[in-house]
Amino acid sequence: MHPILGDPRRLGIYLLLWLLIGLLLTIGLRGDTAWTTAAAFFLPLCFLYAFVCLSAWYICRFYPLEKGARLINATVVYVVAATIASGSWVLAGGFWALALDNFAGGFAARRLFDGQQLLLLVVGALLFFLAAAAHYLLIAFQASREAEKRAIELDLLAKEAELKALRAQIDPHFIFNSLHSISALTASDPAAARRMCLLLADFLRETLRLGANSRITLSDELALADRFLAIEQVRLGPRLQVARDTDPTASDCLVPPLLLQPLVENAVVHGIAQLIDGGTIRLAAARDGGMLTITLENPCDPDRARTRGVGLGLDLLRKRLTTQYGAAHAVVANEQEGRFLVQVRMPAVTAA
Amino acid sequence: MTDPASTIRLVIVDDEPLARGILRELLAPHADLQIVAECGNGFEAVKSVTDLKPDLLLLDIQMPKLDGFDVLDLIGTQVPVIFITAYDEYAIKAFEVHAVDYLLKPFSAERLEEALVRARQRIGTKERPPVREIVSAARPDRTPLQRILIRDKADVHVIPVGRIDYVESQDDYVAVKSAGKTYLKEQTLAELETLLDPGAFVRIHRRYILNLSRLARIELAVTDSRIAILSDGTQLPVSRSGYARLRELL
Repeated sequence: MHPILGDPRRLGIYLLLWLLIGLLLTIGLRGDTAWTTAAAFFLPLCFLYAFVCLSAWYICRFYPLEKGARLINATVVYVVAATIASGSWVLAGGFWALALDNFAGGFAARRLFDGQQLLLLVVGALLFFLAAAAHYLLIAFQASREAEKRAIELDLLAKEAELKALRAQIDPHFIFNSLHSISALTASDPAAARRMCLLLADFLRETLRLGANSRITLSDELALADRFLAIEQVRLGPRLQVARDTDPTASDCLVPPLLLQPLVENAVVHGIAQLIDGGTIRLAAARDGGMLTITLENPCDPDRARTRGVGLGLDLLRKRLTTQYGAAHAVVANEQEGRFLVQVRMPAVTAA
Repeated sequence: MTDPASTIRLVIVDDEPLARGILRELLAPHADLQIVAECGNGFEAVKSVTDLKPDLLLLDIQMPKLDGFDVLDLIGTQVPVIFITAYDEYAIKAFEVHAVDYLLKPFSAERLEEALVRARQRIGTKERPPVREIVSAARPDRTPLQRILIRDKADVHVIPVGRIDYVESQDDYVAVKSAGKTYLKEQTLAELETLLDPGAFVRIHRRYILNLSRLARIELAVTDSRIAILSDGTQLPVSRSGYARLRELL
């Protein structure tokens, strides 16, 4: 695609520049000829030459600017091309002068043209070189823009892959602890052991199933969180209490899959499990107008050993929401007096 | 008590009731084993070790407030320990390196049996694993220290490092001063110095480490010796090399 012909805006700017060149030639080479004559002669001539010079692009493409380029070949080709272009231009100029004088009358275009042919030949050649240089610039500009775009696309692809891998990750602690709970229940309470087996199987299956979608309903996401919390309740006993408050209109909203799961896991692992007496995890979802707000609150030990895990989880959450919604989201996390609170706001979107 | 044939008195420590339950269940057939206490957290574990002086500790690693390594750090080599964990790369590596026995959840009755046989042999000897090395290998992210654990007989004090004013060396002990109180811990000042954040704590003297945020000013005493005045008015001597270290940070 021609960088100027293919883009009306650029073509406009290019023709404007040529109008300027035409005016300069009018002013510079008018001599004692009338303004109108000089303008009537030079402006259409420049308009014509503007399109001739667009052909420089084909040479530019054939001789790209790079290391080890065939410089001598290119120079010869350019000189020949410029001469041909300029020569035909001057020839056209001659015909145009004749036409003006003969058909319109009152002009003295021939007088203006005669004696300036050589000068016009040189100017024409120089303008052709200038056009070639401009084409090289445009080509370089386009190439860098494309490289940038490709880099961004690759980056996005890599991020998506990374997110996918992280989403699919299930905490090994969770698996082994759950299996240990099942093992412990086997003799003392076989029915409970079986329930736990089924809960764990459901949770794993749902994690795999939901993770394969690009968006799921909030109610699916919350159902997964419920399963997870039910399993952890078997392990932690009365230390883990759960309070849920979901606005029914929020349940249908679509969210990226396993968006809340890492937050819920953090609330248990870094919150409740670090407290000797445990506490209550509060999970709420509400919809106000166009926005969906999910709030997760859990007690925590203010003196606990800090790990990078929680911060990384929040970073990942922000990245995922940015990929999905751009700037139209907010993730707020704060810890105050032994309570950790995360609030996620995003556009409330439902399936059509 | 060192006779392998006699009854072994053991304490089980796990914050999860079900995990304690399966230990109880699997240990029940052993007539020569007696569970003298079941602990749901690290504080209870330290208390039981102090009060009951058991022969063996079955110690879970992931627990609230004080985890298994904190407990080990506090009780030292007093009691042989079998560690229990669900999954902990660093800990497992540390156990392998120092040949300490451990169980991975879920474990079988046979695997527990093996660990008990080895523990019996260890109870007979005086051989003890290097506690500090295990703790530091198992928790490489523990430095700089975030809190200091101090055992006061059966009780445990947890002091976040930000609440320490200064630390004074007293022979084989360090005296940790925090809000007018003194806590004694069996550790050398040099060892503690390597664990604390070098940007926040300075060894100002052979016998003192100072929390930099407590320093109000430095005064010149007689002939090139200096005194650090703390914000609560406490005065501490500053040695010449201590002064050089202070100047580097201020």
